[in-house]
Amino acid sequence: MTNTRLGQASAAAVSLMLVAAGFIFLYAPTDALQGPVQRIFYLHVSSAIAAYGCFAVVLLGGVVYLWKENIAADRLARAAALVGVAFTSVTLVMGMIWAKPIWGTFWTWDARLTSTLVLWIIYAGYLMVRRLAEPGRQAARFAAVVGIFGFIDVPVVHFSVTWWRTQHPGPVVINDTLPAEMLVAFLITMACTLFLAGVMIAIRYRIEVLMDQAAEKTVPAPIVAPSEARGAR
Amino acid sequence: MRTISIALAVARKDLTSEWRTRELVPALAQFVVLALVIANFGFQIDSHNAVAIAPGVLWMALVFAGLVAFGRAFAAEREQASLEAMLLTAAPPAAIFAGKALAAALLLAICEAVLLPALALFFGVRLSFDVVSAVLLATVGMAVLGCLFAAMVARVRARELLLPVLTLPLWIPFVVVGGQAVQAAMGGSVTGQATGLLLDLDILFVVLTSLAARFVLDD
Repeated sequence: MTNTRLGQASAAAVSLMLVAAGFIFLYAPTDALQGPVQRIFYLHVSSAIAAYGCFAVVLLGGVVYLWKENIAADRLARAAALVGVAFTSVTLVMGMIWAKPIWGTFWTWDARLTSTLVLWIIYAGYLMVRRLAEPGRQAARFAAVVGIFGFIDVPVVHFSVTWWRTQHPGPVVINDTLPAEMLVAFLITMACTLFLAGVMIAIRYRIEVLMDQAAEKTVPAPIVAPSEARGAR
Repeated sequence: MRTISIALAVARKDLTSEWRTRELVPALAQFVVLALVIANFGFQIDSHNAVAIAPGVLWMALVFAGLVAFGRAFAAEREQASLEAMLLTAAPPAAIFAGKALAAALLLAICEAVLLPALALFFGVRLSFDVVSAVLLATVGMAVLGCLFAAMVARVRARELLLPVLTLPLWIPFVVVGGQAVQAAMGGSVTGQATGLLLDLDILFVVLTSLAARFVLDD
């Protein structure tokens, strides 16, 4: 995608997030029990789903890379991992802000909270592998392996509320317990957040392409001792 | 068949080299005993709380001893550049990987032979068959995952930093299930379900890591 197209897509994503904010703060009713804090739910759950989606892209990119050695798949995985970590951070921070007034504490060692934290650490490790491994084929292969193993934690996070008895609220959307207006606000926020995630991945993908091109162009500077350099002159 | 004999040969090589130098096992045995000493000061252990704290101390000591053991598994190969030589032979990478993991698991099991009696002695816990089987089953899964990432980090910069970051999160299932099993066994209840789950996790990760070994080693 060209820079102009990416600029237009970013503008669209920002406007859509403002639309979502309108639905969250103006359209959705205030929760009878939790009060205004409940409005965190819309973005908290949406960014968790966006993060799952990003990590699924990392998984697919990794599998395709190992299978076909396709550099585009690797770039896509790189881009999605970074965006996924960002959305996991948003999920964790917003969850903690919600938990303080509702549970009386920012953090509790509940299965879903713990597994989400582990998810964040796994993909932060993925980004570290990318930085520390030799760029190119080795970094791509190693990261693909980490991305594939790391994805095992995604279903654990998702089903933790059903597998264990947790303090974290269970699924409210699929269980049809959400009032219609809240559901509309949630679905719109989710669609806007997923669009934002897609645009962020596209921008990061473009950066990765440019970085790869820059790395190819860079010719290592010849190592010359200062005395030799003077002598040459 | 050939894969198995290659794996056994690699494992035998590693164990022979450890037997000749006797570097890793004595150091790890001291390390796990020291971990118990540190836990004593950290938790202010007395005869009342010792049994409740013991499972946690066991897994902390085991996890960190495992990181050291699996990190060393590929360190010698890297120092001598002998891994490349092994990979140049016709041996499949999965077989070499399986041999390395087997040797590392056995070395960690020897450390457990020090850790578990020490725990029983200093913390006054009962060592039952259930405790030993849970620890050994967790060792298998931890060894294959630990060796996979040890093989990976042996070729990158800042390997000492990266190994815990990659390995510890993926060991968590073993610590969760193994921890429950040990806690139940030390408290005198049955651990049947947890042991089965550990076996399932072992099978899952043995299969996944042997599939992934090719991409990490062959390069």
